[in-house]
Formats: sequence, C-alpha cells, structure tokens
Amino acid sequence: MSEKKELSSSRVHDLLGSMFGVFAVAMLVTSPWQVDTSGPDPFYKGPLIFPLIIFSIIIAGSIPSMWRLVRPSLNASWYLDGLGRPYKNIVILGLLVVYLAGLMVVGLEISTWAFLVIALKLVKQDSVLKITLVPILVTLILFLLFKVFLDVWFPEPLIMGFFQE
Amino acid sequence: MFENLVAGFWAATSLANLVALFSGTFVGIVVGILPGLGPMVGMVVLLPFSFAFAPDVALSLLLGVFCGGYYGGGIPAILLRTPGVPSSLVTSFDGYPMTQRGEAQTALSAALLGSFGGGIISVLILIFLAPVLAHVAASFGPPEYFSVAVFGVVLVVMAFRGQLGRGIMLLGIGFWFSTVGIDGTTLSQRFCFGMLSMQNGLDLVPICLGLFGIGQTLILAEQEIMKTRDIQLSHSSLDFSQLWKVLKYWKTLIRSSVIGTFVGLLPGTGSILASFLSYDAAKRLSPEKALFGKGTPEGCLASEAGNNAVPAGAMIPLLTLGIPGDALSAVLLGVFTINGIYPGPLLLVKEPVLISTLYISMLFINVAAFVMLIVWLRPFAMIVKVPGRLLAVVIMVISLVGIYAVNTRLFDAGVALAMGVLGYALLRMGWPIVNLIMGVVLGEIMENRLRETLSLGDGSLWIVLHRPISLFLIVLTGLTILVPFILDARKVKKKKHTDTNL
Repeated sequence: MSEKKELSSSRVHDLLGSMFGVFAVAMLVTSPWQVDTSGPDPFYKGPLIFPLIIFSIIIAGSIPSMWRLVRPSLNASWYLDGLGRPYKNIVILGLLVVYLAGLMVVGLEISTWAFLVIALKLVKQDSVLKITLVPILVTLILFLLFKVFLDVWFPEPLIMGFFQE
Repeated sequence: MFENLVAGFWAATSLANLVALFSGTFVGIVVGILPGLGPMVGMVVLLPFSFAFAPDVALSLLLGVFCGGYYGGGIPAILLRTPGVPSSLVTSFDGYPMTQRGEAQTALSAALLGSFGGGIISVLILIFLAPVLAHVAASFGPPEYFSVAVFGVVLVVMAFRGQLGRGIMLLGIGFWFSTVGIDGTTLSQRFCFGMLSMQNGLDLVPICLGLFGIGQTLILAEQEIMKTRDIQLSHSSLDFSQLWKVLKYWKTLIRSSVIGTFVGLLPGTGSILASFLSYDAAKRLSPEKALFGKGTPEGCLASEAGNNAVPAGAMIPLLTLGIPGDALSAVLLGVFTINGIYPGPLLLVKEPVLISTLYISMLFINVAAFVMLIVWLRPFAMIVKVPGRLLAVVIMVISLVGIYAVNTRLFDAGVALAMGVLGYALLRMGWPIVNLIMGVVLGEIMENRLRETLSLGDGSLWIVLHRPISLFLIVLTGLTILVPFILDARKVKKKKHTDTNL
C-alpha cells in the first residue's frame, strides 16, 4: 500500500503534469495561429472554440502538479518505482524507428527478421531455438498475412535499385 | 423484431462470421490468460485486420476478443493468483485458496459457469433494454446529446478521482488529438504544424495501437510480469461433475449478471467495479458468508459473472447513444464509424439486421468461449508459460506492420510509435490512460454537439437548462461531481473524530 502511495506521489508525476500544463499554455496562446479561422462562421460555430476549451481544461488539470513541483512537500522525492531508467526500452524504440526505415530500404521480410533477431537478443530471449525459429516464423506469417492474404502494398525496397541497375 | 433476429441469426451463422468470432474468442482467451496483455491489446492488434472484413464480421472478431478476454482472465487468477485481466483479481480471493486445497477444478467450474451465465444474461438484457433506451434517445436533440456526453466524460474522470488532475489532463489531451487535422464542419486546418500528412488527422487506430499495443508491450519487455510456476490441474479438460455442483448458486449467478450489466452500462465504471460489487452482494446475501475470502466457489462465480456481464452492458450506451462506456467499446465505436455506421438511437432502426447479428454473435461468442475452455483447459492454462518478453517483441512488430497496412502510410506507424512512448510513460506511472482514449473518441462527438447546441441557443449554452432531459442530465452530472467529494469529506471527518476519541 505504502509502495503504491509512493509511486503515486513521486515528483516525476508533477514534472510530467507540469510539462503538459506548459505545453497547453503554449498551445492556448498560439492557437489563433495554429487554427485557420478565416471562415465566415461566428466564433461559437467556428473551429477555435473547442481547442480553447480543451487547453483551458488541460491547464486547470495541471495546476496542482505545477504547484507541487514549485513548492514540494517535505517528504517529496523523485523516486518513482525503483525500476531504474528505461535504457533497454529506449534501445527497443530506436530499433523500431530503424525497423520502419528498414521497410523502405530493405523491405518487410529482411527488416522484420533483423529486428526480431536483435530485439530478442536484447531482451535475453536468445536461446538457439528461439532466435532461429521465432524470427523466421513471424516473418513468414507477416509475409503471408499482409502481402499474400490482405494484398497490402509495401514500398519497393530501395536496395532493389542496386540490383536492377 | 423477430424477423430481424432471424435474419441476424442467419448472418451470424455465415462461415465468415463464425470463423471471425471463433478466432476472436480464441485470441481473446489467450490475451486474457496472459497477465500484462489483456483484451485491449488483443483488440488493437487485430484492429488493422478487421478493416478487410464486412462490418458485422469485423465486429464479431473484435467482440470475440472483448468477451473472450474476460473468460481467460479468471484462469491465472485461480491457478496462480495472478489475474489475467484486472477485474479477475476478485476471482483470486476465493479461487487461489481453493487451488491450494486441491479444488482448482471446482473453482474453475464456478468461474466458467459465472462467465457463461454473466455473458448470456447480459446479452439478453441488452437485447431487451437497447430498444427501450433507443426509443427514449430518439427524442434527443443536440443539447441532450451534449449533456449525455458531458455526463459520460464526468463519470470517466470521477472514476479515477484519486488522480483527478491527471485524469482531466489526459482527457483534455485526448480531446486535442481529436481536433488535429481538417475540421469536418468548417474545413479549416487545425494543428497541422505545416505538415501535409497531419491534415488527415490522428486516427483512432494508431493512437490505440500505440498506447496499448506498443506501450503495454514495452512495459512487458521491461518487467516480465508473467509468472511461470507449476500449473495444478487434475484433468486436461474441465471436470463436468464439478460444473453441475456449482449450479446450486444460480441465484447468485443471475444477481451478479444483472449488477455487472448495469455497472457496464455506466461510462467509466469498468469491469473491476462490476466484479467487486457482484462479489460484495454475493457475500452479504450468502448463507456461507464466512467462507468468502477463504475459498468458496460462490465467490468465483459472482466475480466472473459480474465482469463478464460488462461487455454487453457497455454496448447499451454505445448502440443507443453512440457514447462508449469504456476504452474497449471506444475501439468498437471506431470500427462502426470507419465503416460509415454511426451508433445512436437511429442505428436500431437503420441497421436492424446488423444489430441482430451483433446480438446473436455475442451469444455465440459466449458459447464458443465456454466450450473452448471446457475442452482445452490445460492447453490454455499452459499459455501462461510463454515468455512475456518474447511475446512483447513479436506484438510490437505485428502492431507496427498492422498499423501501416490500414492506410499504407508510414506516418501512421510513426504516430503509433510516438503514442507508444506516451503510453509507456503513462502506464508505468499508473496514470488513468482510459481518459485519454475516451477523450479521443468523445472529442469529435462533444465538439459537434457543442457547436450545434450553441447554434440552437444563438451562442448561449443556457439552452441546456431550458430542456427537461438535458437539465436532468446536468443536475445528475453535478451530483456525480459533488456527492463523492461530500462522502469523502464525511469519511475524513469521521476518521478524525474516531482518532480524537481514541
């Protein structure tokens, strides 16, 4: 119970809440330029009224976080959940970005296979059986499902250009 | 109505529909059994595939996951005291002590019978209640719809009133996501930041897939939530003799199903509350009160009947008002609207066969889940042993390719990745992410109804107070905000008083 309370009262929450609040303030101020209000509608029928209400709601919700961030209580701390910084997940996210780029460069099959091999190694699911079978099976399933069964268009891999030349 | 039900029956028994509902139910049970995943992840991963099918088939597929997930969640709760879905936590109160005593088969029989009864009874309530509510809602104008939407939003926010500020912020952010792109009414650009691809707006699918599909799997890759202890089961299928034994709790079954349906009907309340309320009512009214918490099949049955009644209950406001009761039905709303079908009171008049197909499919899904779990109990239970991290990596790839496949736009996959980062942060910090999804789904509805209401009132919102139904809803909304705070303040005062006396 106390661990749960600790998790809920960490200053990291206040930081995130304040970031949302500051973002909403910035959006509220810049909204008239971000929304095309050149139409003939009166303000209450126009495209700006709802965003203004929304950003006001976000700011209202973030006020307690901002207050706590500026004036923390005596027992406030930055401790969140003891799981440390998410380095592994940052690497996985990076791999996912590379994977998306890989779809264009080397195509669905090679990109999927390579991502799975590296990601499985990263999350320590690297027994010979898993690292050999899983990437091949998943790549095959994705190929059959999306390219054969659903007939989804994927970009021609850029690497193919080298071979065609 | 009977003719429509017959037509719905034939549509529901078409091969495509049967394959979809069986596959959906199978996937639902699997993701329900796997702690850390749950029906939401299953639904969002299957969402891109559903676009290849007719609306009734797509809905059967996703409803299968929705309902199947709740069936599966009870199994690890009973066998390992690790709930597959959060609401199955209540099932573990009695289920796990029974497993420890070697009565896992009895506990599983009670849970399965509860799930089946809850599912069937709630669908029957849906079939009879939806037309009544739709009839009432047919007289609704924009002010009434706006008031209903406000009421729904307030219920969702108040459901997490321990995190009120965070809930409000996430709801607002969800609303904002819904405004990005070209405004449908005025065709004005909003928040496109000069990017052409932003003009199409942020689809619900990449947002849901990112927040739940990628966000949840990042948590799974990091924390390995699943336990892989020994599974204690005497038979590979369910023991029928135990199933007959628990039939004596039929009154609890009906009561819990009704409670679950009506809790599911209220936006934001969710299946955990349904489980708790059903369990609590069963405990208070049972002649075997003392056994609750120590291992009684009645507790397992009540909890599972309560949470399995939620999907059909959540369909009532979705079908009659177009307001989703929770994040899962919000995804279903997305499927409706993407197929050009707009839920609301006229849906039951315009699409009677589709609705009947939906009802019959939901009945079939419950039968399918019940039979699958009876026959393949041990194989399903063994799924818990699949390493979570391996699954996480595979789901990430399927999610990203699936999201690309919907519109063949890499931009959507990028949005899903960005949402995955946000989802990971929010899930790890325990913020009420449901509010964000509700904001995205309800944003467009709220904005359109607000503008229509303002137009009716010549720029004034007072019109909502001049119409009896909207006035009633606004008063109800006010009470929903005030009453919990008054009750909390009373509790604090009472506690202080007791402490002073001590």
